[in-house]
Amino acid sequence: MKASFNINNSVSELELNPNETLLNALRNNGFTEVKCGCNEGECGACLVLLKDKPVNSCQVLAMSVQNKKIKTVKGIGTLHNPNLIQKIFASTGADQCGFCSPGMVVAAYSLLKENSSPSNEEIVEALDGNLCRCTGYVKIIEAVKRSAIILQENKVEAE
Amino acid sequence: MFKYIKKPIEKIDGLALVTGNEKYTDDFSFDNMLHVSVLHSGFAYAKIENIDESAALKMPGVVEVLSYKNIKQILYTTAGQGYPEPSPYDTVLFGNVMRFVGDNVCAVAAETKEIADAALKKIKVSYKRLKPLLDFEKSENSKILVHKDDGAFPKIPVYYDASQNLAAKVEANVGNFEEAFLSSENKIEHTFFTQYASHCAIEPHAAVSYIDTRGRLVIISTTQVPFHVRRIVSHIAEIPISKIRVIKPRIGGGFGGKQEVLLEPIVALITWKTKRPAKLVYSRKEVFKSSRTRHGYRTIFKVGFQKDGKINAIHLDALENSGAYGSHALTVLSNAGSKTLPLLNKIENLKFTGKGVYTNLPCGGAYRGYGATEAYFGYGQIVDMVCEATNNDIIEYYKKWSIKSGETSPIFKALGEGKEGVAMTVTSTSLNECLEVGAKESGWYEKEKLYGANSTFNKGKRFKRGIGMAALMQGSAIPEIDMASAYIKMNDDGSFNLNIGATDLGTGSDTILAQIASEVLDTPVENFIVTSSDTDFTPFDTGAYASSTTYLSGQAVLKCATKIKEQILQVGAEILGVNIDEVEIYDSNVVIKSSNENQNKGEVSYEDICRYSFYQNNQFQIQAGVSHVSPKSPPPFAAHFVEIEVDTFTGIIKVLKYVATVDCGTPINTTLAEGQAEGAIVNGISYALFENYYFSQHGKLLNDTFGKYGMYTAADIPPIKIFLIDSYEETGPFGAKSISEININGALPAIANAFFNATGKRLFKAPFSPEYVLKILAG
Amino acid sequence: MLSENLKWYFPSSVSQAVELIQKPGVILHAGGTRILKTQSKNIVGLVDVGNLKLNYIKFKNNSFHIGSATTFNDVIKFSKENNCLKMLGAALSQAASTPLRNRITVGGSLKDFPLWSNLYAPLITIDAKIEIRGDKSGIYSVEEYVSDGIIKSKHIIKEIIVPENENIIWKVKRFALLKFEYPLFNIAIAFKMNGKIIEDAKLVITGVKNRFKRFKKAEKFLTGQKLSNNLSDEIEKFIEPKFVSDYKYSASYKETVAKVYFNELLSEIIRENL
Ligand SMILES: Cc1cc2nc3c(=O)[nH]c(=O)nc-3n(C[C@H](O)[C@H](O)[C@H](O)COP(=O)(O)OP(=O)(O)OC[C@H]3O[C@@H](n4cnc5c(N)ncnc54)[C@H](O)[C@@H]3O)c2cc1C
Ligand code: FES
Ligand code: FES
Repeated sequence: MKASFNINNSVSELELNPNETLLNALRNNGFTEVKCGCNEGECGACLVLLKDKPVNSCQVLAMSVQNKKIKTVKGIGTLHNPNLIQKIFASTGADQCGFCSPGMVVAAYSLLKENSSPSNEEIVEALDGNLCRCTGYVKIIEAVKRSAIILQENKVEAE
Repeated sequence: MFKYIKKPIEKIDGLALVTGNEKYTDDFSFDNMLHVSVLHSGFAYAKIENIDESAALKMPGVVEVLSYKNIKQILYTTAGQGYPEPSPYDTVLFGNVMRFVGDNVCAVAAETKEIADAALKKIKVSYKRLKPLLDFEKSENSKILVHKDDGAFPKIPVYYDASQNLAAKVEANVGNFEEAFLSSENKIEHTFFTQYASHCAIEPHAAVSYIDTRGRLVIISTTQVPFHVRRIVSHIAEIPISKIRVIKPRIGGGFGGKQEVLLEPIVALITWKTKRPAKLVYSRKEVFKSSRTRHGYRTIFKVGFQKDGKINAIHLDALENSGAYGSHALTVLSNAGSKTLPLLNKIENLKFTGKGVYTNLPCGGAYRGYGATEAYFGYGQIVDMVCEATNNDIIEYYKKWSIKSGETSPIFKALGEGKEGVAMTVTSTSLNECLEVGAKESGWYEKEKLYGANSTFNKGKRFKRGIGMAALMQGSAIPEIDMASAYIKMNDDGSFNLNIGATDLGTGSDTILAQIASEVLDTPVENFIVTSSDTDFTPFDTGAYASSTTYLSGQAVLKCATKIKEQILQVGAEILGVNIDEVEIYDSNVVIKSSNENQNKGEVSYEDICRYSFYQNNQFQIQAGVSHVSPKSPPPFAAHFVEIEVDTFTGIIKVLKYVATVDCGTPINTTLAEGQAEGAIVNGISYALFENYYFSQHGKLLNDTFGKYGMYTAADIPPIKIFLIDSYEETGPFGAKSISEININGALPAIANAFFNATGKRLFKAPFSPEYVLKILAG
Repeated sequence: MLSENLKWYFPSSVSQAVELIQKPGVILHAGGTRILKTQSKNIVGLVDVGNLKLNYIKFKNNSFHIGSATTFNDVIKFSKENNCLKMLGAALSQAASTPLRNRITVGGSLKDFPLWSNLYAPLITIDAKIEIRGDKSGIYSVEEYVSDGIIKSKHIIKEIIVPENENIIWKVKRFALLKFEYPLFNIAIAFKMNGKIIEDAKLVITGVKNRFKRFKKAEKFLTGQKLSNNLSDEIEKFIEPKFVSDYKYSASYKETVAKVYFNELLSEIIRENL
């Protein structure tokens, strides 16, 4: 069957089954930038924004969010038009294998959009659903801090 | 001074990764693709008497079932190592004996994953259950034999005895341990245990295969070892190597877990048989139970030492729980000795005895640290105990007794990887500086006394603080075994293709290798188009393991780029009409050396040089291919310092601060080097404190999800400070050694030593779970 | 695996929803996190609560009314501004992870009552009520709700009602080594105060043998007492949680730690309010 979603600001009809998760529906329809690390809500690789809030797409049944606004990491920025946070993630070394990065960027973006000067506590709290085995999180936290500083200096929003 | 080395250069795939643009194995799908699911054994030890797959095959959409009934029983090892592998040939892809809960029963290929999963439930397997062997300490003399009459054999001439459950046995003797031990003034003997663990790369194992337009088999896989995959798949599937192409796309972390050939033969056989693309992706649960783990270890240290602290004799006896198969059993075991015992190289009498035993538990394999992690747990505490007993300051002790530049250890020769080792002299170390900087940055001298034995700081307190440290070494590549190669060609805009067999697992080696070529050719990293890990298009490389890529593949790139440089200089000189020795390269140009007066006129760009070589006189392609084998494995060194707080009411240990000083030679890329250290340290801490495999009494893994296993998030990590303290390793590219593994080894001994500093008690068993800690505090 | 022929319903009123769930195999869908975990093949239909307008927090008749479709994160956000709900907010902010808390609803969590629930212990201590519609329509205390007859009946939770009380002092704590981890147990303590006198005390732990335990003897002992430092030691003997051993921790270890935590929380609550 088909169901309609607003993905990265355009309406997409996804082919899916009624028992399917949003993660599978997205990946099966070409949105492979959303990653699957566990399928159990325990790693955060599958994070997307649902109505501007981060959720584990593997823990959402797709049918329950039809017509809702969904944003993947590519909706935040693309290779040719990256978001500031993505640029800083890359330049800080917050990505090693990069498998966690789509989810991390979604979580970081959502935090900075709500709160442009987060404390250390607020940063790590916002990232508490995202596992990364490569970096030890040090440079990820640093990247979020740097992003916040630059966003503030430029007085811009994490658009 | 370097231009492109020792710089925090951004990963060449960085932006593509963080924008979700890069492709990983599971992101590849093909028309008409089959989906594969594997049925795993629910019993720890059982013989399959029959598999009835008829009901599954009748299901619409089921295309193929692979089991022992239709698969040739070819013995191999899943360990992706050089050929002939030092691991025993004791595995068949689908056999009729199940040796652990999670072993492969059969595979189903179907039109969708859902159908394949549903079909698994329709397969009727009749098992004859056998009594499993679950206690590795009882394996050697057990009546239960894990590999009985199955033809398992060692591929190289090493000790192997399935009739005693011995997958591996290693022994090395230097001097006379027994005599020296007996005559020592002081003797200690302690037994330590380390546990199973999962690599937890966030990307699960996956493989996709298809037949290309000319009938060849293409495998895309999450592998650290594409060339070994090609060879091993060829062996199991009986497809000529010439008909197989293996591609490693981006991969989501490995840590040793993907140095194992597990899924590739399955999809290969399905595709070869059906001529249809096939995909297999493991679930997280499958990764936990059915892929590979860190081996479990018991290490017994016997040490004889003098009143002044001089160690006369040390014996390390290691017992390795290899699990159901002997993947990496021998080499991890040897490394338990070869990566620890040379550190205090002035000990004259050394003995290493090790056995790797089979059990009916999940199968061990390569895991970051590779034996060293397991052995440093005891080694690092033993040194602390000796210092404690003899009133030595441990920092000064390591400074005095550890191996120095120009020195050697007989262990290097005595312990190799399946054969005799390679004698070598250490030519680079900054360990003493590491110790000093680490002591200073961690506040060692003040805190060690403040928290230690007779201080009042901790007296009567529920929360007790302690500080501990450990010194470490590892290796860089396997000497005289590992080989890497690189190929470079020049393009007509002055850019270069850099083709390497080396495997970037997320470590950033594609970037690091480009930096090395950049430095040689004095041209920016952006000018390199890096292609790696494609068996059709890149030259051979043993793969990403043994901390080898920067040191070994990097040297191959350096040699290759140097050849390119000679060709560029030659063409440049020709264009400029001067002798080759009158020119040099500078910033993507060939220039006439500055001593020459005509300096300004005398330069020609890389672009013009390549165009000239393509289209004008003496035409040829500027290109080179070079291989490299290292004559040695220079150890990186590190000193780790950790401060902890012990809740003596609950047994919870909290890490307050972690300082690591690391000598990796020249860090080619400072950001990536720090990142390697940070990642390894966090993994080391969680391994020390809670990561573990819990089994039911029938050998079934109970904590097979991230949630039950336990994983740190950003919210849990202590402040971590890394100091890279250079040395210069002559045999490595621009002085580089390795950094990827060593830093996982520190947390176990350093935290245990900090615990002693805080409480006066010793921890002998990892992980330091709160319940175990309470028991130690009470006892 | 959930059935491929799963039917979805999107009713716009609670009564329609109640009607729909009468059919066998048809259940409510809120955050869906539990439904995805169980993957029960027996579910034939899901009734989404999304259009029932049950996502709200209101103040009415001296009580807070939390709609059952409210997510944990929405409760946390709202609780920051309201003293009385702070306890709930503090407990829920320890649950799961940020993205999961954007999906997990209070209704789904009440019905599900996982062993690791961060919701139950605080709700019991602050005398929350649960309003349900269905066979057993009515307003129940949390303890009444979890009795088999009601929690297992076909019903929809409409809302949680939390009585406003400015004079409550409280503590919550969970046992977990990691930020994102299923807690072994959750503890909540609340005292209704009249000056320095404890008018009413509630001490609750979840994750124990029978899911939850109220220490009524301790509560009784504390009621009417004046806050003083020795209270925490005096009631130690009444705190005897019973656990089941699991692969990671023995029952006796859990008991030890639960007692330590109770003692610690009581000492803190007393110290901070003396
Ligand atoms: C990885 C992970 C970690 C977690 N960690 C924690 C934790 O630390 N602490 C914690 O408290 N929770 C935690 N949870 C959440 C908990 O386990 C449940 O999944 C969750 O509480 C269910 O809520 P839901 O809204 O998703 O319910 P659903 O899955 O939608 O529904 C659950 C049940 O409730 C029924 N239901 C739904 N809404 C109503 C209603 N309004 N009235 C009556 N019945 C209804 C459904 O029919 C179903 O039977 C975690 C979950 C996951 C996936
Ligand atoms: S894949 Fe969704 S949380 Fe891991
Ligand atoms: S970069 Fe590999 S998991 Fe985060």
